[in-house]
This record gives sequence, structure tokens and C-alpha cells, in this order.
Amino acid sequence: MLYADTVVSDPLVHKPKVIAAMLAAAAVFFTVLNLNGTVFGELMRPVIGEPAEAGYYGQFAIGVVLALLFTLNVVVIGFLKFRLQVVIVWLQLLCLFLAFFYGFNLDFEFIRKKVWFMVSQGVFTTLYVSAISIALASVLAIIGAVAKLSSNGFAYAIASFYTSFFRGLPLLMQVYLIYLGLPQLGYVIDAVPAGILALTLCYGAYMTEIFRAGIQSIPKGQWEASRSLGFKFGLTMRRIILPQSLPLIIPPTGNQFIAMLKDSSLVSVIGVWELMFLARTLGNKTFQHMEMLITAALIYWMLSMCLELIQGRIERHFRTKSH
Amino acid sequence: MNKPVIEMRGVNKWYGTYHALRNVNFTVSKGDKIVICGPSGSGKSTLIRTLNWLESHQEGEITVDGIRLHEKMKDIDKVRMEVGMVFQHFNLFPHLSVLENLMAAPMWVRGVAEAEARETAMKYLERVRIPEQADKFPGQLSGGQQQRVAIARSLCMNPKVMLFDEPTSALDPEMVSEVLDTMVELAQDGMTMVCVTHEMGFAKAVADRVIFMDAGEIIEENDPVQFFENPQSERTRTFLSQILQH
Amino acid sequence: MACTRRAFTLAAALTAAAFTAGASLAGEALDRITSENTLKVATDANWAPQSFLNDNNEMDGFDVDVARELAKRLGVEVEFVTPAWDIITAGNWNGRWDVSVGSMTPTKARTEVLEFPAVYYYTPAAAAVHKDSPAANLADLSGKKMGATTASVFELYLQHDLTIDAAGVPSFEYQIEPGELRSYKDSTAVMDDLRLGDGTRLDGMVGSLPAILNGIENNYPIKIVGDPVFYEPLAIAIDKGDAELNAKLTTIVEDMRADGTLSALSEKWYGIDYTSTK
Repeated sequence: MLYADTVVSDPLVHKPKVIAAMLAAAAVFFTVLNLNGTVFGELMRPVIGEPAEAGYYGQFAIGVVLALLFTLNVVVIGFLKFRLQVVIVWLQLLCLFLAFFYGFNLDFEFIRKKVWFMVSQGVFTTLYVSAISIALASVLAIIGAVAKLSSNGFAYAIASFYTSFFRGLPLLMQVYLIYLGLPQLGYVIDAVPAGILALTLCYGAYMTEIFRAGIQSIPKGQWEASRSLGFKFGLTMRRIILPQSLPLIIPPTGNQFIAMLKDSSLVSVIGVWELMFLARTLGNKTFQHMEMLITAALIYWMLSMCLELIQGRIERHFRTKSH
Repeated sequence: MNKPVIEMRGVNKWYGTYHALRNVNFTVSKGDKIVICGPSGSGKSTLIRTLNWLESHQEGEITVDGIRLHEKMKDIDKVRMEVGMVFQHFNLFPHLSVLENLMAAPMWVRGVAEAEARETAMKYLERVRIPEQADKFPGQLSGGQQQRVAIARSLCMNPKVMLFDEPTSALDPEMVSEVLDTMVELAQDGMTMVCVTHEMGFAKAVADRVIFMDAGEIIEENDPVQFFENPQSERTRTFLSQILQH
Repeated sequence: MACTRRAFTLAAALTAAAFTAGASLAGEALDRITSENTLKVATDANWAPQSFLNDNNEMDGFDVDVARELAKRLGVEVEFVTPAWDIITAGNWNGRWDVSVGSMTPTKARTEVLEFPAVYYYTPAAAAVHKDSPAANLADLSGKKMGATTASVFELYLQHDLTIDAAGVPSFEYQIEPGELRSYKDSTAVMDDLRLGDGTRLDGMVGSLPAILNGIENNYPIKIVGDPVFYEPLAIAIDKGDAELNAKLTTIVEDMRADGTLSALSEKWYGIDYTSTK
């Protein structure tokens, strides 16, 4: 949270000018949206008559009513305590979101039939591809970071070439390059290892920078103390520097993992049956891809939220441990 | 006659074009307690940090425990194991408990068994009078306590000489004496010590020799009585008057 | 800690194993099929009714049935892999799979990287528009925004760059001069844009007649315009360099055509016999 001042002013949404502006903007917005033909038109039938014939009058009436409801909602929420505000706004946004999905007239029976396969095949593949990749990428990142910080010209050149190259190319292109290019050199690798390799190399390059920053954030005194006790480089790195940089490395690494979870969908082009591949494929025969896409979207979202929770746990663990 | 533990002959050091140490000569024999003082930027910290080669030198010869220090040496760790160092900012390992800080070097560098390392660690924690803090983390201790842990950490390696680089400068005033007391006791036990400090009371009490440095040079080296009562150099007199006038 | 380290080793070993496995071959495809007792078939999982995932989440469709029949007559098991279409058509499979049963048109360009043992059916390619479109014949589509699957014969047709040199295919001429050509991942994506409304994103498309009919059957608001623009011969493809496999597949397809298996499969999936051009 930002560092709040001790003097508290009125919430923004309680200033008359802001309320008036909000009301006006919402009224214009809902009027332009033309909701005569929707459920709101039906609800307003006593006021505007037959919705289909209400025209601009109907639009305007609905617009004003919705704007009033919206503004009232915002003003009331403004009176609540922080936590309650968060919960209520979250729930409202979630409801809007679900209503949006509901508007597609989804076939829930079809979703119910397919969702288990999406989880057992798709989520499983997505998770294990991402997990192996992030683990290998971390190893690569440590090596890359040490090389980038070293005074050895070779190591620095190789590491900086690596990070520059793999951060400079679109991941999809790397997937193709590795899957189609490596066989030219005589190494034929399957789709899953090729995908893992591409993700590892790409994320290893990004994470090299994270690890480098983490290592550099450890004060010089730690190196000097280690050295003065007779520790060699490897020992210092392993026992003193890396353990201390972990709290700095873990939050961005968690973010990388969440990003990778979604980027791993790119390996579907080489035929890996992960979540995104199934989302595009399962509904194909019966043209029910909206169902599958939305299901997959919600699954991705839930996975990300779970990972965020786990990440928060780990961060707290490190925060309480160091002192 | 004692063989010198540390010997510096004609040592020069530059940072780029800045001449940090100018023709420094001095010798530390076993059991010597030497205090180095001087105005800030005089090169005293640089000097003490060249003794375990945290800083390199370019000219002259430094010999520690019979080993000459130079750029290509393979066994610098052997020297560093025998030379304890206490820093201005303690430099404890914050992710390890006090006990682990003390046990780390003996176990990882000397290969001492865990039980033995623990025993040694507790012995030195008692010696610096904070055995009850063994399981805490450095961040939970006061500055004075941290510095005493740092001294104990060095002692656990059973060094032949201890270097102190302004050990009390970062402390709140009320904590200075607890650290100095520890150092005095250490001196009384016969430890060979080189201390960079402005604590003139400490110098008077324990030093065999006091060295005054200015602009990278050793201006004066004398026994403490002579040094404080009859300084030879004009610059020494000015410095002493500045730090002793209150 | 020990546990993570073991996981690391395992992952590293897996990757290393994957690198070495299969790093050989090219050429002895038939030997490989017999020795592994498996015919590895590359096909699309996203192209109903030729190939798709059915209700039991298994591969199904006309192409899949043909592939199963091929494997049966070779006396081996069948296994399906689903790389992207452009990866299949690029050739140089390096033994990753043995054969493509994916309704591939044997274009001249493709014969440079692939071999086509046999044409197993022909699909009419047709133009379609949104049902609100005023277009009445093919000429009306010239100058319009047309869509097609990327790297497909339909796109080549719209680019006026299509050569079909398989035997028994009637000749054709380019009847549409698109104003703008948009490429899509697959035919479903083309129809998804077309369904949004006449001219919303697309004015029309060229695709395979069965796929379009399938869409119409599933309530896509689109309609066919004019007669089929060309007949597309669709072939089984293999990687270059194994004449023995080539000959064997040719014989098998001939047998399947002769004993009516192919026609039966076509009737099963399309309701029409597409295995000859009328």
C-alpha cells in the first residue's frame, strides 16, 4: 500500500462534483448502449411502454435509471471499510463477468462432459511442462547470472549473447526454431521436450536478469566476511549469497511461473495436447469452441490464483525467517 | 626472538592515480597489540585490509604467517583462515542463527565435526558473554551484541592474529564499552591484534605500539606513553589535539 | 532439498533422453513401422469431419478411419500425432511420424518436399458467404474481402497460384479476384469471422465443401455461392526417400478403392461418395 498521510480527506466518490460527473457519464453511456431490446427494456415496460417502440425516450429512461443505480452503488460502497469494499467490488465485478459469459448461451452439459478431460490431460500437461521448464530455467538463470557478473570475458559474452538473443525473439518463433531447426543439426526431439527446451531457454534468459539483480543486491560486506573466513567462491555463492537473495528472487520468479503457465500454450502448435490445444480442439466437431475457450479461460485463471496464493505464502515465509 | 606474524616492506598501493599507501613498512610479532589511527582517508582501513588481501597492493612485500601475498597465489584461503577480521558493520550472515554464524567457517572450511564446532562456538559465545543469544538471528540483536558475535565468529577459527577495522565506529555510544571490554580481555589473553580505531583509551590501555597514518603514509610509530605525551610529529600533535580536546 | 535435487536430475535425464532418442534414421520408414509395429500418423485434431476429437476424447473422422484401415492392412498398430498443419506440409519429418493422412492436396510445391503415394478422395472446393450477402455468383466476390486457411490450397486458389497436377482432376480457372485476402489458422476460424455478419470482417471465403456444409448443418448463417471452384485431389503423404513404403501405400489405397472400403467410409462421414470426381 502507498504510504498514507495521517490527514484523511473525503473519499473521491463522495464529492458532489464527482458524483454529478459520474451520473452524467453513466447516463450517456447507458443511453448510447441502447438497451431497449434487453431485459432492462422489459423491466421498464411500465414506464416506457412497449420497449421495441420506445425509441430514444426508452433509451434515455433506461440510461438514467441504470446510471442512478450505478452511482448509488458506488456512493454506498464508498461508505464502507476497506476490506468490505474490496470484497463487494470483487463480487460485483465477478457477477458482471459471469453475466457476460452467460450471455453466450453456453451448453453447460457439454462443458460438464469435457471438463474432466481438460483437467486430466490439459491442465496436467500444462503444469508439468511449466514446472519442469521453470526448474531448468532457474538453473540456467543462476549460471547466466554468475557469468554475467564475472570478470571473465568469455563467460560474460556468452551470457549476454544468450540473454539478448532469447529475450529478443518471440517465444513462438523459438518453439518453431527448436522443433524444426534442431533436426537440421541431426537432433530430432519430440514435441514435449522441444517445448520444454524453448520455454527453458526463453525464461532462463529473463530469469538471468532476476537472479543477477538478486545476487547484486547482497551487500559487499557479505562477500568480504565470507572471504575473510576463508570461504571459496562456490561455497560463498551457495551458502551465503544465494540463500540471502532468495527472498528477492522468489516474487519475480513466481510471476514468471504464472506467465509461463500461459505462454506454455504456444507449444500447442507442435502438437502438445495441453490446455489451450484442447480448448481449441474439443469443441471443434460440434462448433462449441466458445464453451471450451471460456472453460479453459476459467481454468487458467483459477490456476493463476492458486499460484499467486502459494507465492504469497512463500514470500511470507521468507519475510518472517530473515530476522 | 619471535618470528614476525606480519611483515610489510615498502608497500605501495594506488586506486587508479590515487596513491593510497606510500612506502609502508611495519612488523607485527606474536603477541603484539597494535593500534592504527589517523584522520579519515589516511589509508588506515586500506592498510589493514591488505593484511588478508581483501585489497591488493602493487608494490612491496607483505608476508603473513610466513606466506607472501601476491596476485597469483593459490593458497590465499590458508592465510585468511589464520587471520580473523572484525568489520565496522559486523557483516554477520543474517540468514543464519548466531550459533550457525559461529559454526559455519570451522565446519565448511576446516571440516570440523558438527558437535565439536557447536562446542567451540558455545565456548566463545560464553567468552563474549552472550551464550543466551545462540539461537537468535543477527537482526534480533543490538549492535554491540552483533559485534561481539562477529568477534566470536572470528575466534572460532582459532586465528593467529585478529584484525579490527574500526569495530566501534558504527555503534551507539552506550554499546562501545561492551565491545571494547571484550577486546581488552582478548588482548589480556595474549592474542596478536591489529586495530584501526579512534578509541584512544583502548590504545592507552592495551597497545604495545600506536601507529599514526596520514595521506597513506606512516607518520609516526611509537609506544603509547610516548605517542600521547610526547608526539614527534607536528601532524600527530594536530590530530591528537583534534580528537582529545573534548 | 534432496527431493528437489532429485527432481532436477530426473528432469535433466528426461531431457537428455529425449535428445538422444530418435536421433538417427530418415529413409527406412517401412522398417521403422514394422520394427516398432506402429504406424505414426500426423493429422489435424481440429478439422471435423475429417479428423477431430470425438465425445470420448479420441481421434475420429474420415481421415482417421482411413488411417486406421491403412495400419490394419499393414498389419501394425496406429498412433496419431497432431502437429500444426504448416509443420506437416513443410516436410523433413525426420522420422517423427511416418505418414500424413490429412486430406492433403498434392501441389507442385509440396512434391518438392513430400511424396504422395495415393490420392484417396476428391473434395469440391466452394465459395461461401454470409446468408445476408447479395452475392449471387462467383463474379460478385471479386474485389471483396475473402478469407481462407493459411498455406492451404484455398488460399493458393485466391492468390491465383494453385497448380493441381494429379491424374483425373478436371481443369479449373480462377473466377475470383479478391480485393483483400485474409489468412486464418483453420477453416473454423474463417467461418467464425464470416458468421459475424456480411462484410463485418469478411465478405466471403473459399473452403472445402464438406467443411462448409458441416458448418451450415451446425447453424452457421452462411450459404454456398455458385458451383465448386475446383476439385481438390486429396492424398496421403510421406516423407521423401522410401520407395518401398510409397509403393506399398499405393497398392493398399488401390485395394481400398477397388473393394469399396473408401466409398463406404466417405458415405459414412459425408453422406456422399467423394472418392471419384462424379
